[in-house]
Amino acid sequence: MTRLNLNTTDIIKGVLSFLFFTALFLSCESNATPENSSQKIDASEIAVQGEMTAELTAPPKVPKPIGSRAATKLIVDMEILEKEEEMTDGVTYVYWTFGGSVPGSFIRTRIGDEVEFTLKNHPDNKLPHNIDLHAVTGPGGGATSSFVAPGHQTTFSFKALNPGLYVYHCATAPVGMHIANGMYGLILVEPAGGLPEVDREYYVMQGDFYTKGENGEQGLQAFDMKKAVDEDADYVVFNGKVGSLTGDNAITAEVGETVRLFVGNGGPNLVSSFHVIGEIFDKVNVEGGDMINKDVQTTLVPAGGSAIVEFKVDVPGTFILVDHSIFRAFNKGALGMLTVSGPENASVYSGKQQEGIYQPEGGTIQEMPDEGLVNKSPTKALTLTEKMKLGKTVYDKTCLACHQPTGRGITAAFPPLAKSDYLNEDVDRAIGVVVNGKSGEITVNGEKYNNIMPKQVLSDREVASVMTYIYNSWENNKTEVSESDVARVRNSH
Amino acid sequence: MRRNKLSFFLFLSFLFFIASCHQETHDTLPYQCPMKCEGEKIYSEKGTCPVCNMDTQPIEEKILQSENEDEILETSIFNLTSKWNTQNKETIELKDLKGDVLVIVMIYTSCKAACPRLVADMRNIYASVNDKTTKYILVSIDPETDTPERLKEFAIENQMDNNQWVFLQGTVEDVREFSNVLAVKYKRISPLDFSHSNIISVFDQQGVLVHQQEGLGVDNEETIAEIMALSKAVQEVN
Amino acid sequence: MKRISFIVLSIFFIQTNFLAQDMPAMKRINGGDFVPLYGSNEARVSVETFLLDIYPVTNEQYLSFLKTNPKWQKSKVISLFADKNYLSKWENDLSPNKEALPNSPITNISWYAAKAYCDCIGKRLPTMDEWEYVAMASETKRNAQRDSLFNQRIIESYETPQTYKKEVGSTYKNYWGIYDMHGLVWEWTSDFNSVLISGESRKDVDTDKSLFCAGGSVNATDLMDYAAFMRYAFRGSIKANYCIQSLGFRCAKSLKK
Repeated sequence: MTRLNLNTTDIIKGVLSFLFFTALFLSCESNATPENSSQKIDASEIAVQGEMTAELTAPPKVPKPIGSRAATKLIVDMEILEKEEEMTDGVTYVYWTFGGSVPGSFIRTRIGDEVEFTLKNHPDNKLPHNIDLHAVTGPGGGATSSFVAPGHQTTFSFKALNPGLYVYHCATAPVGMHIANGMYGLILVEPAGGLPEVDREYYVMQGDFYTKGENGEQGLQAFDMKKAVDEDADYVVFNGKVGSLTGDNAITAEVGETVRLFVGNGGPNLVSSFHVIGEIFDKVNVEGGDMINKDVQTTLVPAGGSAIVEFKVDVPGTFILVDHSIFRAFNKGALGMLTVSGPENASVYSGKQQEGIYQPEGGTIQEMPDEGLVNKSPTKALTLTEKMKLGKTVYDKTCLACHQPTGRGITAAFPPLAKSDYLNEDVDRAIGVVVNGKSGEITVNGEKYNNIMPKQVLSDREVASVMTYIYNSWENNKTEVSESDVARVRNSH
Repeated sequence: MRRNKLSFFLFLSFLFFIASCHQETHDTLPYQCPMKCEGEKIYSEKGTCPVCNMDTQPIEEKILQSENEDEILETSIFNLTSKWNTQNKETIELKDLKGDVLVIVMIYTSCKAACPRLVADMRNIYASVNDKTTKYILVSIDPETDTPERLKEFAIENQMDNNQWVFLQGTVEDVREFSNVLAVKYKRISPLDFSHSNIISVFDQQGVLVHQQEGLGVDNEETIAEIMALSKAVQEVN
Repeated sequence: MKRISFIVLSIFFIQTNFLAQDMPAMKRINGGDFVPLYGSNEARVSVETFLLDIYPVTNEQYLSFLKTNPKWQKSKVISLFADKNYLSKWENDLSPNKEALPNSPITNISWYAAKAYCDCIGKRLPTMDEWEYVAMASETKRNAQRDSLFNQRIIESYETPQTYKKEVGSTYKNYWGIYDMHGLVWEWTSDFNSVLISGESRKDVDTDKSLFCAGGSVNATDLMDYAAFMRYAFRGSIKANYCIQSLGFRCAKSLKK
């Protein structure tokens, strides 16, 4: 009996101590919770430990995540450079840059950090500049304190109070011109403990440009004030230039990885409808803030605003980043690529094509009157080198979207141009396809294709060049096509 | 003709002689702590360093520059050679104010906007510092209107009429130069009115800028503390 | 008697000779009214008739000034009057920047230095209103402020890098016979520090009552004049001891009344 009593006491003791420890454990948990919730902490009260120099990166790279580090004094050292760079093939522009790139260097910081910001205006620059960081709580976002003449530098400090992805830009008069010339970038303020880990992170920022010449007009192009005021952009691009994220510059990922894009829009004028063709954003931090939206096709990125988008890539292929105000993507440059490599996953995307022809009455392919284009006969024939150069430009603009950067085409949809038997067999036939279009079944390298290739509105010179470029690339038979060949085929039709 | 040429050259060199703008020079050597406890700070008389108590020593030649500009530091406003009229109709140069802490503001007496508040700030600072040596200097940005007589009236009206208050009238050009030294911006916006920066500047006994207070209605405390520290340092040495 | 008349004659000769050397370097600018970007309470300001140098001051001219005014040489200039960028590309006191030509505009000089140069030859810096008044003239028009092509050309020239290396006279000759008002270098003016802007352009649409004591507000008169915005922003960003690679000067002179 005594023994039983003792046992009972032990049990009771045991239960009590269990409850006690559980309570203790729970109270630890509840103490820990506010650490992670930004709402409950006054960020201005967060103490800083030590100091470190911020890693700054040019797009599309971003600095390493802050991880679990404590708030610190973060030293940011940024140089303003005015420099001539390529806008697209044969077109250059004098960009004004934060850190030498457009968009400017990516700054990564965390809530509670005390940022000591030094802005240096290079002696070779001609204009005064400053910086307004949308992450700053204070008049002008730092613009007044950072106003700096060429050959001088200025330092100011601020505390990062709100987590989120923020735009920074120059605010010197005329402010629109400073932004139009490329003076914007992103600063990320991570919450305590950092953003959830992902496999890949990239920096993509849209901007609109206004040049004296029309889109594609060769040579150094000056800023055109009137077009800027009228909001009539010649170029709308990601990361400062046409092709900054295509071809060899495409961003990459492996099947199964989660990709996070830090997307900004410098403007100065246009709002971006950011979309990745063939992907759905699993998660979007709307406007770069705390609110998360899920399963989003296209997210709006305001001028002077941002968004963080995340998605898992399930199948291989090339995914196209666009501003879905779609003329900007196809005519003004707002196009980038994410190349995903790895094994196919048929359960997600079959890749199978079953196609027939559907042509309602009178439903032929629309074509623009090609008067003027044919007759613009050039005075002097191009050399092979010149043809290759012009040909590449035409290819990138006209053919690349379907036939792909290396001419490999897209299985079952667009036939390959690389090492292509159909192409190499008959040059005139190939020219005919370009100048007259083609529909119906053809066989290329043993595969059947049944699709429609529209008639291309190109001059003889452009067709000769692009055909020569194609024939002299990707293991084709090195035929050189002349303008008279093109004219002959065109007229025989 | 040859003689003519000669006299032409003589005349030219005479022109150059006039043209080359010479500066006056002085002869006394300044003193400095040999350990440079206070950086480049110098004293006009021999004494001890307020930090390490070592005897101050005459500064070596090289710091003084070849032109023998004696105790005027490179960054000192005493390098300005402009002449100014005071409210008491004396003509002075800035270096005549050497040896005292200087608190300087630029105003114009007919100002109805912010100047009265700047003047009140100056008076507050004067009352809080409450020493007998610091000089409070009001430089007119409208020298055409602000004659010595006008400045004297203004001083009396505003109870700023003792030897610690100095009102200065200069030429239009010299006022512009002085504003540049203070980084004060100003512009005449109508025949009677000017727009200008609201800046109060503190200079040490060597005429070197040590503190600026910018804006209206800002806290004067920091400015007062700076002045008192400077004023005290000298009193201890003396 | 003969001697005296000789001296009188020679002085006369020398003076005319001096003037002959000096005068063609300047042009008379007839006074008038105009509307600068930042004017007074009444937007329109008037400029009196004055003389202005045809070209900006060159490296060569500045070098001869330094020879007779050693206190402005690189090693001797005091920091109150010039920051560390003063003549920064000069190898030593008397050997000019090798990247530029003797006949290129002098740059990397402070306002004090520019003012001293003009003082020493009996001239002065032009006022900002005078400078702007001359700068609004195109080749053919006294006032081309509303000529959009003229303005676009100016903006382009402001964006072009390294123009300080060109020789004076390499841009266009304007209505007054003055060269290089745009397209070569920025130029100091005597009252450059009368630009009351904070550098925060969006705030500068109104005068900051805390920073600036103002009897009235001074606003930009033409929101489309980007070239002028760039000039005034530049002036607003500098201090008198600043020395900048793209900033030079020319001198002016008042007419005797």
